[in-house]
Amino acid sequence: MQLTNKGSVATALAGAACALLGTPAAQAEEDMLKDWKFDTAILYYGETDRVSLVEGVINASKTNDDDSLFNVKLVIDTLTGASANGAVAQPYAQTFSRPSGKDGYVVNAGDTPLDDTFRDTRVQVSSSWMQPFADTWRATGAVNVSTEYDYLSLGLSGLLEKDLFMRNTTLSAGLSFQFDSIDPVGGTPDALTSMLTPTYIGDDNDEGEDEFEWDDDYEEGENKTGSESKTTTDLIVGVTQVINRRMLMQFNYGLSVVDGYMTDPYKLVSVVDGAGMTQDVIYEDRPDSRTKHSFFWQTKYALDSGVVDVSYRFATDDWEIDSHTIDSRFRFNLGDNNYIQPHLRYYQQSAAEFYRPFLNQNDPMPMYASADYRVGEMTAYTVGLKYGHKMENGHEWAVRAEYYQQDPKNAGFDEPGVLADLDLYPSVKAVILQFNYHF
Amino acid sequence: MKRKLAAILALVAVAQLSGCASLGVQPWERDLLAKDEMALGAEGVDLGLDDHIYFSKEATSGGRSFAGGGCGCN
Amino acid sequence: MAIQQAYTARNGGHSELAVSVQSQDGFMLGTFDAMASPCEILIETADKQLARHITQLACNEAKRIEYKYSRYRTDSVISAINSSHGKPVAIDEETFRLLSFANTCFQLSEGMFDITSGVLGKVWHFDGSDRLPSQSDIDALLMFIGWQQVELTAGSVALPAGVQLDVGGIGKEYAVDRVATLLLEQAPEVSVVVNFGGDIQVTRRRMNDEPWYIGIENPLKDEQGETLVKIFQGGLATSGDARRYLLHEGKRYSHILNPKTGYPIEEPPRSVTVAADSCTQAGLLATLAMLQGKGAEDFLASQGLTYWVYR
Repeated sequence: MQLTNKGSVATALAGAACALLGTPAAQAEEDMLKDWKFDTAILYYGETDRVSLVEGVINASKTNDDDSLFNVKLVIDTLTGASANGAVAQPYAQTFSRPSGKDGYVVNAGDTPLDDTFRDTRVQVSSSWMQPFADTWRATGAVNVSTEYDYLSLGLSGLLEKDLFMRNTTLSAGLSFQFDSIDPVGGTPDALTSMLTPTYIGDDNDEGEDEFEWDDDYEEGENKTGSESKTTTDLIVGVTQVINRRMLMQFNYGLSVVDGYMTDPYKLVSVVDGAGMTQDVIYEDRPDSRTKHSFFWQTKYALDSGVVDVSYRFATDDWEIDSHTIDSRFRFNLGDNNYIQPHLRYYQQSAAEFYRPFLNQNDPMPMYASADYRVGEMTAYTVGLKYGHKMENGHEWAVRAEYYQQDPKNAGFDEPGVLADLDLYPSVKAVILQFNYHF
Repeated sequence: MKRKLAAILALVAVAQLSGCASLGVQPWERDLLAKDEMALGAEGVDLGLDDHIYFSKEATSGGRSFAGGGCGCN
Repeated sequence: MAIQQAYTARNGGHSELAVSVQSQDGFMLGTFDAMASPCEILIETADKQLARHITQLACNEAKRIEYKYSRYRTDSVISAINSSHGKPVAIDEETFRLLSFANTCFQLSEGMFDITSGVLGKVWHFDGSDRLPSQSDIDALLMFIGWQQVELTAGSVALPAGVQLDVGGIGKEYAVDRVATLLLEQAPEVSVVVNFGGDIQVTRRRMNDEPWYIGIENPLKDEQGETLVKIFQGGLATSGDARRYLLHEGKRYSHILNPKTGYPIEEPPRSVTVAADSCTQAGLLATLAMLQGKGAEDFLASQGLTYWVYR
């Protein structure tokens, strides 16, 4: 350098550095932090020949200067299509009343009876606030409200967390209360009483709709009363532990006590004779209390370019339903801005103690009975793939496609007469498609 | 059966906690753990949607978080 | 839901902004990772909550600058400028000031400090091996080097196609100074040392006028041990080749390249540390000293500076 005057370069640089740093940062934090973050998603769930669901979620989170976090979520879903009503298939056509009692539907010979009355829209709003305090503690409070035209749910929950050992260990404990009220269409049916079977009289009317008539003695809603409710109290305690630089584990124990009406007011049980022919169709009934224990373990392992996430849950309750769930996600990053994530889930449950695919006319009526395959013995598996992309502006989108199959199984019941020739445990096959956007 | 479960639970809890002090990382070793995708709550929206589906179609719910479902979707 | 969220808030929501604060003897130490360096914030306080807040502010600002000026991030301002293919790119006031500073340094150093010289990184890989690039490889790149080709105005910058900017040489020191300025505004009573991998700035003097003792990189550590520096205020920056060099036929090539020839500077010191009023100033002086090769000590002496040179 030719500038050799003592100190001149240093002085010039001092001046230049001042010019560089002169103006203080104009709230630069905002640009980077964008303290509000939004997650939105739209999901389509469709079972072959049965129920379909479209669900939209908007989740907004705001992180404050003191690290407290406010979250609000809106969920709207609409359900259409047919669900199994619990009655068994027969080698001849059957008629059933709709829950409203004012209409009926016909099921073809050999088909699993499906009720397609369910067209429902649900709206749910939930919100939470997480407040850190005393450096290693966090307290969270949350509320949620969900409403459908026959169901209302109100919930409140609290969670406390404490970090230990340089935040390598976190202990947590949470409590939640939920109050649910159900006001079934047509009223709550009296337990195990008969559904009024209509007679199909043809479809000769102007609109080509099926028409039905009932017995002269039929009094609409005579065995149905008003609304019911239940309360759920949940306790969850957990430990999260950093194992090493790549691995994290969580273990939770959950206790759930439900008290109140847990029967599905729209589900039926067929009462059959020795030849497997339906003599009567009655409304199901489930116990009015349920105590569940669950043990959940999850591990996340960081690969150089991706994550392996595996969890196992064992649940057991006093309805004698035991279940095992293994859920795994394998994320593979493709460069800095893309990833694919295969998903595999396996689920297995044993039948509830009161589960009966149908009842035998000659047996004494049990105290509780449900033919809903969802409390029966079943295995289910899910296979899926997700692809995500991060855009230049920092927003992210992702698409997910999954296949979910439920295989109900015979929990050890004989199939008398004609029932032996029918498929009483059809598989339910569903496709799941989802699009996410994060900004 | 229930007593055996309680014993297993206690054992696991103790094993976890007593091992806790020797496991873990220094603050400057958190590079991989701090990535978004390593958070236990990552993909929260997906997990919530899945929970809703499985709560409606199966008899078990919860585990990761509270078991109460909040909807009549059955 | 709640457990997932709380953990997300701690680690997932802004996981790249995670900071850690520990109590030390007489001060609080906040640490995080930014700009490919371990970053330390030494805070003279016993209030851990305050220390946490200060560390978080520092981390946020450091990350903001990193995301804005890192050439490894496709969404940075620098990457936008580097992919403009000859067209002018609109820039904000901060970027204009940073590039103006780079311009001043270019002038003061008579072209030896040049932020367009980063393209040489395509052919020079300082991994301790003996692989040197060929003359033709270097010649091919020389036409894309030369700050004089860049048109800088208050609102825009235009590079000829093929020319690339790399502010890595001033980015870290700039971040240190910006963080120090920010912390002095936010916590004017508290003495804080901002140390991003050896580039240091002190916000104000300590209570009772005690100095801060900070260890600086000594490449000859094994023989001489770490050097402990006593600093009351101002900035400190180190330029060095600690692990980046090539060894070819017994000759050591440091990673400091002469932008005019495309070859490494001959006989540079292993490490230069300079003290000045600001970290940016100190950093530039250290770099200019390295560019002097064997004349490093003379240069620094002629500027009347406090410095440490290791060969």
